[in-house]
This record gives sequence, C-alpha cells and structure tokens, in this order.
Amino acid sequence: MTLLNRDPNAPEAWLGELPVTNRYTFGLAGEKFFRTLKDEGRILGTHCSHCDQTYVPATVFCERCLAKLDEWVDVGTSGEIDTFTLLYVNLDGSFREKPEIIAFVRFADGGLVHRLGGVEIDHVEIGMVVQAVFKPASERIGSILDIDYFKPV
Amino acid sequence: MTAKIKEFPGISLSEQDFIDGKILYNFDKLNGQYAWDTGIGIGSYLASLKNGVILGSHCKTCRKVVVPPRIICEWCYRPMDEFVPLKDTGIVNTFSLCYVTWDMKRIKEPEIPAVINIDGASPLHGIMHMLGEVDPKEIKVGMRVQAVWKPADERQGSINDILYFKPIEEQSHDTPES
Repeated sequence: MTLLNRDPNAPEAWLGELPVTNRYTFGLAGEKFFRTLKDEGRILGTHCSHCDQTYVPATVFCERCLAKLDEWVDVGTSGEIDTFTLLYVNLDGSFREKPEIIAFVRFADGGLVHRLGGVEIDHVEIGMVVQAVFKPASERIGSILDIDYFKPV
Repeated sequence: MTAKIKEFPGISLSEQDFIDGKILYNFDKLNGQYAWDTGIGIGSYLASLKNGVILGSHCKTCRKVVVPPRIICEWCYRPMDEFVPLKDTGIVNTFSLCYVTWDMKRIKEPEIPAVINIDGASPLHGIMHMLGEVDPKEIKVGMRVQAVWKPADERQGSINDILYFKPIEEQSHDTPES
C-alpha cells in the first residue's frame, strides 16, 4: 500500500495572509506640491527658463536639460481638457450604470489626470476649460483627491 | 561614508516624522493572501492533529519513521508504505531562548522554540515547536517533554493545536537488579 489518497478530513489548503504595507512619500517637489494643494488650495508647477517649460505637477529637475528647478509658479485652478475617457468598471471589477468621466486636464506644459463632475457626458468636449473644485479645507489630507473633481467654467 | 562623499544627499525620515505629520505620504496595504496546498502527507498530519495525534509515515524498505509524514521516502525515493500514529512525548533535540518576537518586539520572558524528537519516530526525527511550563535555566538537551494540547473543540487542524511541550518525569529505566 502506498500513500496516494488524500485524507477526506484534511484541509485542502493552508490559508494565510502576509502583512505587507507600504508608505510612499512624495519626494521633494511632491511634498511642496501636495502641501500647497492641501493648505492653500493652489496648484503649483516649476519652470525651466532654459527650456521654457513649466512642469505640472511640479518636479525638481527639468526632464529635458536635467537642470535643477527652483522657480515655482502658481498655474491657477483652471485648465483645458486635453483628452477624456468614460469608465464603466469600478476598481473592484463591478460595473457602473453611470460612467465616471476621467480627463487629462492641461496646465501649462503638464497637467493632471482627474475626474469631471457637474457636466453631462454629451457636453464634454476636448478643449473645454474646467476648474478644480476643492474639498473643504478640513477634509483635505494632502492627496490629489483633495480636489474633488473638475467642473466646466 | 566614502573618501569623496562626506555626507550622502537626501533626507532621512524617522517614525516620529510620520507621527507628527511632518511628511505627506500615501499608505497602502497589499493583498498578501495565499493558499498553500497541504498535499497528502501534511494534509493527513494536520487532520490527525485535530484528533490529538501526531502522525508519522513509515518506509518498510528503509525501516524509517519520519515526522511530519511524507509520502515519498527521502532515502530510497520510493513511495512510503503507511501512516503511523506516534506518541505525543519526546526529547529535546535542541532549543533556543528568543527575547525578540517574530515582529521584532523585545520581551522579558523568552519564547523557547525547540526541536523535539518524537517518540516512535526514527532517532533524531522531530518537529519544531515551543516549550512551556519550564524555567529557561532548567532546560537541557535530552530532556523528556510531552505535548500540551488545546481542548478538542478548539482544535483547527493546525500545528498550533499543540500549545507547547512541557517537561515530564524521566522514564524509569529498567536497571538490572544486582
């Protein structure tokens, strides 16, 4: 006799969970960008005078000439829709009846990916000017979601 | 530091900086769930632990009894022949005193992991478990111990169905009468 059959009373699998957590810090430019977003409700970029580029969100190095950037500029809270898409599936895979509208909103030479609100899907157009709607200051935590959504101006 | 670099660039962060809110960060928890197939040997072992029995397996060719049970003999590479129930007693093969827990917390009273050679298995075949009800200074290699089980209704088919091993009296050796 050899041992080929499973014990019917035996567990089929041992279940467990690895405790894996992480903290992602935003870096030098990210810290200042999100701190300003949280405390002052302003969107900051950095400007490279050599390349005449304004990066949004702010970076500490120019991607083109690698120069260190320390010229911070307030780019305001309205930008242009560069492109957009409709999301019918949630993060957990469940379906949505009403889609979420996600757009790339252009600020200076960069921009932010965010959701649109206060607008019908049929009315969204590329080139439309939209403005950031911030959460109340007390609810802001230093995240891109401190901006609730962008709405048409 | 190196000859050229006196101080590495960058900002080091302490736990206190996070607590004090000096730094913004994103916290995330990865889904680390897993399911490990117990297989035939370990599955039977866990099922019998639920019944309060430590199970081994026997190879007739090599006359070996191993614990935990395996279905292939590690000496002759042939399928093993049978499962055998073993006693819940044994002797301490080796042990350690741990003053740090698995998640790196310092503790005053040490945890005492030990390898226990189970009675009924071939010599030097044992399982790793904890010792309890014992003064850390009194533990000796070769000491006889017995399993302390969880109450039957609390057992789940896990190695933790044995709480720990505690010392027992030496077996009376049959010394020839002179």
